[in-house]
Amino acid sequence: MEWAWLIPALPAIAFFFLATAGRRLPNWSAIAATGTMAVGFIIFWFVLADWLSMESLPAVKAFGFHIDWMKAGGSTFTWGMVIDPISLVMLGLVTAAALGIQIYTWSYMAHEPRFTWFFAVHSLFAAAMLALVMADNLLLLYIAWELVGICSYLLIGFFYERRSAAEAAKKAFITTRIGDVGLLIGILLLFAKTGTFELSAIFALVEDGGLSDTVITAAAVLFFLGAIGKSAQFPLHVWLPDAMEGPTPVSALVHSATMVVAGVYLVARMFPFYEHSESAALMVTLIGAFTAVGAAAIALVVTDIKRILAYSTITDLGFMMFALGAGSVTAGMFHLLVHGFSKAILFLGAGSISHGSGQTDIRQMGGLWRKMPITAVIFGIGALSLGGIPPFGGFFSKDEVITAVFDGRGLFFMSIALLIGFMKALYMGRVFFAVFLGKLKPENEHAHESPIVMLAPMLIFAFLALTIGFMALHYTDAYQGFGYFVFAGEHQEAFHLNKGIAIGSIALAVSGFILTWLAYVQGSLKTEPIIKRFSGIHHLLVNKYYVDEVYQWIIDKVVLVLGRFIAFFDRAFVNDIGVNGTGAIATTTGRIMRYLQSGKLYTYAMGMVVGFLGLALAWWVS
Amino acid sequence: MELYHVELLSAALFAIGVYGVLARRNAVMILMSIELILNAVNINAVAYAAFLDPGRLVGQVITIFVITVAAAEVGLAMAIILRLYRIRATANVDEADSMKW
Repeated sequence: MEWAWLIPALPAIAFFFLATAGRRLPNWSAIAATGTMAVGFIIFWFVLADWLSMESLPAVKAFGFHIDWMKAGGSTFTWGMVIDPISLVMLGLVTAAALGIQIYTWSYMAHEPRFTWFFAVHSLFAAAMLALVMADNLLLLYIAWELVGICSYLLIGFFYERRSAAEAAKKAFITTRIGDVGLLIGILLLFAKTGTFELSAIFALVEDGGLSDTVITAAAVLFFLGAIGKSAQFPLHVWLPDAMEGPTPVSALVHSATMVVAGVYLVARMFPFYEHSESAALMVTLIGAFTAVGAAAIALVVTDIKRILAYSTITDLGFMMFALGAGSVTAGMFHLLVHGFSKAILFLGAGSISHGSGQTDIRQMGGLWRKMPITAVIFGIGALSLGGIPPFGGFFSKDEVITAVFDGRGLFFMSIALLIGFMKALYMGRVFFAVFLGKLKPENEHAHESPIVMLAPMLIFAFLALTIGFMALHYTDAYQGFGYFVFAGEHQEAFHLNKGIAIGSIALAVSGFILTWLAYVQGSLKTEPIIKRFSGIHHLLVNKYYVDEVYQWIIDKVVLVLGRFIAFFDRAFVNDIGVNGTGAIATTTGRIMRYLQSGKLYTYAMGMVVGFLGLALAWWVS
Repeated sequence: MELYHVELLSAALFAIGVYGVLARRNAVMILMSIELILNAVNINAVAYAAFLDPGRLVGQVITIFVITVAAAEVGLAMAIILRLYRIRATANVDEADSMKW
């Protein structure tokens, strides 16, 4: 298990190799990058086996390992890693997803001239993400957090020749940066109060009561601010739909399965804070629920397939936060795991569709299952999974979340969670039926299935999405459900099925799919009258609640005005008066003083006489 | 005869010399004024030696030094003025003002 540090280290080495020497060895880039990910994946299984064999569950045991890095001012900063259930789940997800998606990219971006750079940044991203989930101190976590943000910027703006892609990359980075300020302040606050960055030491202080309640709440809220930025919660969700300008493998990996769940991971990792601070947990719940409902509503009206999936991701992230705020790390992490694979299938499928038919707008698609059957089946598995139909994994994770919300927050929030589940079924049904079923449009006659290199990872992920749900169940005394592996606090949570909730959520999901089938396939449920009746709401949704416009107004009227004032201040006072002024004074003084050099002899003689008389006078007076 | 008589004479000569240095345009006239100043100083030194320190010869020795230096300096200064006159065709110091701003 000590070799777990190789898992992020190998992709990092691949990045340095590819960034410097990759141009000369173009064929090596894919092999180098994917090779390191494959090795990392294999090492992960060894780490998992090692951890499981350490001693028997139930205690949450964390294997820590660190080396001293530098000493400054009495504190020692370390590189360290912690292997516990949360980090194991994330390690498995990130290595598996990155590996599969890199294989997909071999084919998807085969004709791209900057192929090597893509794999280089992709490797760096994987390395940073893996370091983030294994970090045992907040400093390393923050470094990895920022690195992940940079890689996201580079990958979104990969096609930087397109203006919209460059703008989207800037927007993503700046928006997440705003959240990162909160994270940084939280980390520094904890450092000021505890004198250490080490998580284990900080958690010990939280449990013992060494930190006051205000500090705990403040730190929890600040960390959640960072999570809001990174995990696209309201109000910093605006970057994720625009991030779809990046290549599809990037959307599949970074913006559905891995980077955006860094915020969820952070909340799960810092869970002792949220256990001890009721107000922070409530904030998490409210923002998560609000984001989920809002984004699900938008997903029902947008027409670009990747945008639908982006809003679906925001919904699911809100759903995960909802579960975490309700007090269940189990449900949140389980949904993270299932969502990772399911959403990856959907994005890879979207890439397959655009690769095979060149379309991205679902109004131009329809009946594509005839031309791309395998993609259709895989996409369908993903859609059914996230829509919450048993026995797919998404049903189990959604059920866990709703049960956790019911246990932690009560009936009202549970009904909101059920509503979110219904809306998820609606938009998943919408996208699947509108794209794949129905009549084939004549301009899509040339559509073809994607090559096997692209389909193979999708098939594997689909298999995982099908089967991973069963991890939630109670099998033996030693493993009574996912809650035996990932849990917060002292005791594990056994799997329990609340029949009422299960039946209710299944009913809602099935009805959601039936409604969309009627609307998009059969055509008996017309959407135009509904749109006309609720045209106000429809307008609001299509314009994404005008949040982008509000931000643009704030930027134009507040930020730029402030910037102009500061620029004026700098130019007028600091530059013109301070710097240029001093020079001007020197020049003007010189211009006056030079008349002393008149060249006339008697002037100099007069000067001498006057000076002499003055000195004599001074000597006589003193 | 009192000391202050001689001092007064010396001061008067000195003042006339200073006036000459400052107000004359001709370089040779300025030189003559400088000589006047030096001679005033000589008279002063001899007077002090005679009235205040009768047995010794300190003032007189200083005067001999000053006369010697004055002679040397006038030789040099005349050389410069002759040079200037050869170049500028004038001994008017007001016209030698090219080393200015």
